[in-house]
Amino acid sequence: MNENPEKTTHFGYKTVAETEKASMVADVFHSVATKYDVMNDLMSFGIHRLWKRQTIASSGIRKGHHVLDLAGGTGDLTAKFSQLVGDTGQVVLGDINSSMLKVGREKLHNLGLVGNIDYVQMNAEALPFPDNSFDLITIAFGLRNVTDQNKALRSMYRILKPGGRLLILEFSKPEQELLSKAYDFYSFNILPTMGKLVANDSESYQYLAESIRMHPDQETLKAMMNEAGFEQTTYQNLTGGIVALHRGFKY
Amino acid sequence: MALEENNKEQSAANSFFMLPSFVLSLIEQVLNQALKLDPSLVDKLKEVEHQRLLVEVRDWQQKIAITYANQQLHLYTAVEHADADCMISANINTLLALKNPAMLTQLIRQDKLDLQGDLNIAQRYSSAFSSLDIDWPEQLAKYVGDAPAQQLYLHLQSLQQQSKKAKSQLDSTLISLCQDELAITIHPLELVQFKQQNRALKSQVAAIEQRINALIKAL
Repeated sequence: MNENPEKTTHFGYKTVAETEKASMVADVFHSVATKYDVMNDLMSFGIHRLWKRQTIASSGIRKGHHVLDLAGGTGDLTAKFSQLVGDTGQVVLGDINSSMLKVGREKLHNLGLVGNIDYVQMNAEALPFPDNSFDLITIAFGLRNVTDQNKALRSMYRILKPGGRLLILEFSKPEQELLSKAYDFYSFNILPTMGKLVANDSESYQYLAESIRMHPDQETLKAMMNEAGFEQTTYQNLTGGIVALHRGFKY
Repeated sequence: MALEENNKEQSAANSFFMLPSFVLSLIEQVLNQALKLDPSLVDKLKEVEHQRLLVEVRDWQQKIAITYANQQLHLYTAVEHADADCMISANINTLLALKNPAMLTQLIRQDKLDLQGDLNIAQRYSSAFSSLDIDWPEQLAKYVGDAPAQQLYLHLQSLQQQSKKAKSQLDSTLISLCQDELAITIHPLELVQFKQQNRALKSQVAAIEQRINALIKAL
C-alpha cells in the first residue's frame, strides 16, 4: 500500500495529480492567449461583455479604491476599473499565466491606460500581498482553473480590507432543463469545432466545456465562500444561470 | 398577483437577455461619441468627475449609475443600495424635461422629481447636455472635405425643414378629415362645450339631490 498517495484533482473530466493541474491549465492558456478576445466574442456571441458590465455594476467601485483583478486575462475588467479608480486608486492585473499578462499589458497600453495599473504574475492560492490590502477583488472566469479553490478563497479573504468585497464571475449551472440541454449540445459539439476553426486548438475548448461542468454550482460556491469567511454572500444568475455572479463581503 | 407574476417574468427575461445592460451599453457609446464630437462637454463635466449620479427611471423600473471619469461616461445598471453623490428619481418624460436646467427646482416643487444629495451634480449634467452643440459640417468635412460638407449640411437642413412643414400639413389635413369629413372625432371647442354642459348638469343633479334629501327628512 502506498503510504503517501499523491493528491489528485480534476482537469476537465480527467483526474490528474494536484501538482500537474497548474501547468496543464497554463498550457491551455499559453495556447489560446493571442486569440482569447476573438474567441470570447465568438463563443459567447459578445454576451461576455454584458456579464462583465454586470460585474462592474455590482462592484461599488469609487475613486481611490485598490482593486485586484485576479485571473484578469486580457484586462477587460482592469480597463474599466483603471478609469473608475482614477489617479489616486490602483488596479493590479494578476494572472498565473505570463502569456495572458503579456497580451493584457499590450492591450491596455494601446488603450492609453497606464499609470495606475500593475501587472503581477501570481497564484491565486498564495496571493503575494499583505493582509487587508484591497477594497475589491474580482475573479472572472478564473476560479474553475484554480487547483485548490478553497485555499484561493481564503487567500482572497486575507488580503481584502474590512468592508471590501469579492466578486466571482464564473460559469455555473443553467436553471432550466431545456436550456441546460441546449447549452450542453453547444459546448460539446459546436464550441470545440469553433476552437479548431478559429484558433486551431479544439482540445483547449474541449477542456473549457469540461471544466465548466466540473465547477461547483451556485449554492456550493456560495457555501465555499461562507466557509472561507465571507459574509452577506449572494449570487445572481445571468443568462439563465449559464453564468453566475457571486458576491461576498469581509467585515 | 397577476402583476407580480408579470413583473417576475419581465425580470427573468431581463436577467436572461440582460436587456437593460445591453441598452445602457448602447446609450453609453452614443454619449461618449457625443463627448468626442463636442469637446466643450469635457470641460463642462470636469467638475463632476468621479462623482456618481444615480438616476431612477420610475416608469421603466430601472436605476442607472452614471459616472464621468477619464473623459468618458460610464453607465451601469445600479444594484440595490448603490451609494451615490446625487440621486434623482422621476418618470422618463420628467427626466427629458431636465434638458432645461431651470426646470429642476420647479419639477421638485411639483413633486414630479425626487432629488437627494448634491443638487449641483444633477444641474451640471443637465446643463452640459442641454448645451450640446455638435459642429456637424466640421465633423462631415473630415470625411468629404469642407465645401461638400457645408453643401450637404445645408441640404440636410432644408430637407429637415421641408419634412417638418410636410408633417404639419399632413397633421392638419388628417385633423380636418377626422373632424369635418369623416366626423369620427369632435372639434376641441365642441369638447369644451360638452364639458361645460356636463358640469351644469352635474350641479343641477346635485341641487335635485339636496332637495330630495330635504323632502325625505321633512317626511
